[in-house]
Amino acid sequence: MTNRVFMLPLWIRLWHWSNALAIIVLAVTGVSLHFSNPDLPLVEFSLAARIHNVAGVCLAGLYVVFVVGNIVTGNWWQYVPKPPGIIGRCLKQMQYYGSGIFKGEKEPFPPTPEVNFNALQAVTYWSIMYLVLPVVIATGLIFLYPQFAPDRLFGLDGLLPIALVHYLGAAAIVLFAVSHIYLGTMGPKVSSLFKMMISGWYEH
Amino acid sequence: MFANFKNKLCGALALLVMLTATAFADDPPPTPEELAKIKTANAECLTCHSEAGLKKPPKEGLDLKKLRNYLVDPDTFTASDHGQMACSKCHGDGYDKHPHDAKAKEGLSECQDCHARKAMRIERQFDKSVHAEHLSDSFTCSTCHDPHVMTLAAKLRDPHKIVAQDNKICLDCHDSDLAFAKIAPEKKKRPPIDEIHSWLPNTRLHWQAVRCIECHTPTEDKLSLSHEILNKDKAEKKCATCHSANTSLNARLYRHLAKEEQNKYGFLNSVILSNSYVVGATRNPSIDWIVIGLFVAIVVGVIGHGLVRIITTRMRRSKNHD
Repeated sequence: MTNRVFMLPLWIRLWHWSNALAIIVLAVTGVSLHFSNPDLPLVEFSLAARIHNVAGVCLAGLYVVFVVGNIVTGNWWQYVPKPPGIIGRCLKQMQYYGSGIFKGEKEPFPPTPEVNFNALQAVTYWSIMYLVLPVVIATGLIFLYPQFAPDRLFGLDGLLPIALVHYLGAAAIVLFAVSHIYLGTMGPKVSSLFKMMISGWYEH
Repeated sequence: MFANFKNKLCGALALLVMLTATAFADDPPPTPEELAKIKTANAECLTCHSEAGLKKPPKEGLDLKKLRNYLVDPDTFTASDHGQMACSKCHGDGYDKHPHDAKAKEGLSECQDCHARKAMRIERQFDKSVHAEHLSDSFTCSTCHDPHVMTLAAKLRDPHKIVAQDNKICLDCHDSDLAFAKIAPEKKKRPPIDEIHSWLPNTRLHWQAVRCIECHTPTEDKLSLSHEILNKDKAEKKCATCHSANTSLNARLYRHLAKEEQNKYGFLNSVILSNSYVVGATRNPSIDWIVIGLFVAIVVGVIGHGLVRIITTRMRRSKNHD
């Protein structure tokens, strides 16, 4: 018999999918802009620039929703990696992904309403959401208003460090997104965690 | 036969004028003694024809309202291409005494008197330009190129200075109803410059970093940028022309610096990077390859992990069946 437990309120699910859509749009247009090639355009440059700007502002707005929502509901606590034994729990989680899952072992730290994330998830999500994403958003906003970038740095244009940090941060998010989507298949069934992100119910 | 002879004679004369004129433009720079003489002579003109002269006229009864239109900034002039030339080189007969002769203006040297070869090339381009289409009678070299101010881009070298000088020429008219109305055909209203460029992100910032002519001229002239100024329907609108690894900026604004280091810190077009970060053009291929490599590694890793999961799950299932 399948057990059902309610895990995710509507606002988190709506935020998650809007955020995901914004990041996919930003990634595709960002690649078109960074690797711009007149002979092989993924999305035409001026169109990509416009879409990227709009989606970027949406992402910044969604981030405000995320932070305020987390403060108001107390959900921020889920993201905080809890130290006693965290390294051991991370290693155990890695061992599960690296070998346990192939042997049919059970998930060592399945999600519960009290603790949504395993230690590895908490460390990764916290880093992405509270370190990398705000940096990417801040540098993106400076890109949008380049007059706020430093004028010069090390004899080069002051926008260069902003652009580099934005690019590397965005790349880290895309790399995270690929593994994040794959790890979404690691529930009791391949579809369990995707279903949970839509309905809010965790079936196990 | 006579007509043929006349044509040949005209051609020979034109060639002679051109060669003489070119020699004139390519004159060696003046010696320090000559320069001192030129400075003294020019200082005499500037006692009236400068802001200081206007404030403190050396003579009574000068028409100051008229004089205001004929002022030269001494520092700007000295730094300009013609800054080591005597005023009298162009302002010849009739200008040597005051009041100047009423017909002195008629004897004023024209640009092609010295720059004949260049003028011939430029004229062919100009004839196709939007300015020739609407203003061919009133439009001369000095409508844009004030000979007391202009400095060649090759001499300025600094892209910021080149951009400031060249865009001022365009914007002086195209960003001012008053100046535009002075030159434009009757009834022609000045198109609102920001509105017609609203498709260009960070419009005004673009105008601080690149020249109007980067987009509003064709690229066929290899010697200098073409003087065929293109109307908005023909102007470049493909961002990727500049925003790509093979950026056209190297053949345009940065043509005088293109031979300098192009791979500083491993960045493509790093000579541009010293002034502007141009998305798509000033990127670092090594960083790109690392990012692409990591992306491929993660995708391959994920696919591999997934395949092993599928295989091991099937093996366990078949084992359980057994």
